[in-house]
Amino acid sequence: MNVLITGADSRLGQAIVRELAPGNQLRLWGTGDPPSEQGENITYFEGDMRDPDVAWRAVRSMQAIIHTGEPPPNLPEDDLASEQELLDLATRGTHVLFKAGIDAGIKRFVYGSTLQIFEAYPDDVYISEMWRPMPSTDKFQLTRYLGEMTAREFARDFPVAVTALRLGKLIAEEDALPQDPDLMWVDYRDAARAFRLSLNRDAQSELKWNRRFALHHICADIPNPKYLVGKISGFQLRGFQPQHNFETIWRGGGA
Amino acid sequence: MKKVLLLGASGQIAPNIIPDMESHCDLILADIKPYPDGRPIEHVDMRQYEQVRDAMRGMDAVMNFTVNRPDPILSFHVSTLGALHVMKAAAELGIKKVVHTGPQLVRSYYDQDFEITDVPRAPGTGYYGITKMLSYEICRTYARIYDIQTICFVFNGLGLEPNEPIKGEDFPPFRIFWKDLAHACCLALDIESVPDNYQEFNMVSMTAHQKYTMEKAQRILGYEPAERWENYYKRDM
Repeated sequence: MNVLITGADSRLGQAIVRELAPGNQLRLWGTGDPPSEQGENITYFEGDMRDPDVAWRAVRSMQAIIHTGEPPPNLPEDDLASEQELLDLATRGTHVLFKAGIDAGIKRFVYGSTLQIFEAYPDDVYISEMWRPMPSTDKFQLTRYLGEMTAREFARDFPVAVTALRLGKLIAEEDALPQDPDLMWVDYRDAARAFRLSLNRDAQSELKWNRRFALHHICADIPNPKYLVGKISGFQLRGFQPQHNFETIWRGGGA
Repeated sequence: MKKVLLLGASGQIAPNIIPDMESHCDLILADIKPYPDGRPIEHVDMRQYEQVRDAMRGMDAVMNFTVNRPDPILSFHVSTLGALHVMKAAAELGIKKVVHTGPQLVRSYYDQDFEITDVPRAPGTGYYGITKMLSYEICRTYARIYDIQTICFVFNGLGLEPNEPIKGEDFPPFRIFWKDLAHACCLALDIESVPDNYQEFNMVSMTAHQKYTMEKAQRILGYEPAERWENYYKRDM
């Protein structure tokens, strides 16, 4: 499959590239340094996603778009300017990118949202995809959520499959040891696997828009989880089972 | 008398309700374009946070009637970013009342149904609908976290109230007249609080269809149309 991956120079993006490189043609879209992964099946693309001409060149000949939602590395230092940029990228940027994808005939879109929009809930409830998001005003959290809402509307209006992955807090299992465990942790490799599996969704022909749109919570499989993965009928990401579950840390006690 | 900043004062809606509101509150008008009758207004560009914040300083409440409907860039920058600027400035300045506005996002999706009050929005990908939907989410989030009582009025059609019988026509299903909207705005400025700090209200003047209802506005705001306007659309017997 020909897959465009945005935010490819982020750590999440690189994990997705490693996951998808075997057997796929990848076009990596980044704004920083090109990722180390290079090969005959990998090309690199640069430019501002909000420019429709740039977006059109990026999506041409692609069959799927993975929009990681990851913030770019070159955000303005000023806090307000950085927030404005994040909002514009998440909303208008997602709109321009997906619109270009629609125009190019792409049928599969995956967006990387965040599970952190449920942090406001107390820890004594089980959070599934059924709960209403309660984002904070944190610029990274709120804008990522608004990006998800933007992406969702494309499944409503067009015969395409849109999948939103609400990712927990991304971390590599081997880096987690010195830290207190977090109920929302997810390993980059498991998150990348979820993106790959999302590409298998063949829902573009569904007549009802809410079957063309899918929403999945993605985090580690830990003892007594707050954030449930794959427990609600109709919300399972087929084939997804986290492999990095921070067992050493959780066995040692914690939240 | 409450001091209220009205953003988007020179647009298609505000000049029609301002005359009915001026005895109720001290309105400070702001826009980027001149007011229709040349009245002086403050220049406030919704894309500039400092301009929005500075205009809001010293206000008791803010009413945001700004919008850009069709432009691929300005719609995001005025409707979505502009809403962020208003709510952010309200949080920063301690302003506890915001009246936000935008389109209903249910027409056509629910036109075959009845008794429609609070249903899931269906904005789609058009610039007007999606950018305003995003603004609603921004308002809801800031309202919840900063305890800003935020009333969001959603519209479909707006216009001058009839003053003579209208024959051979049904009335539009989601329409509010200027007089009723001005009244609703005054109620919104007066109400102490709304559930969850944020509520959206259908703004309608006629509900005889039993389709898009004003039930929630009646129940929470105490809103009632000035007249039973449906009576202007009576067939001769």
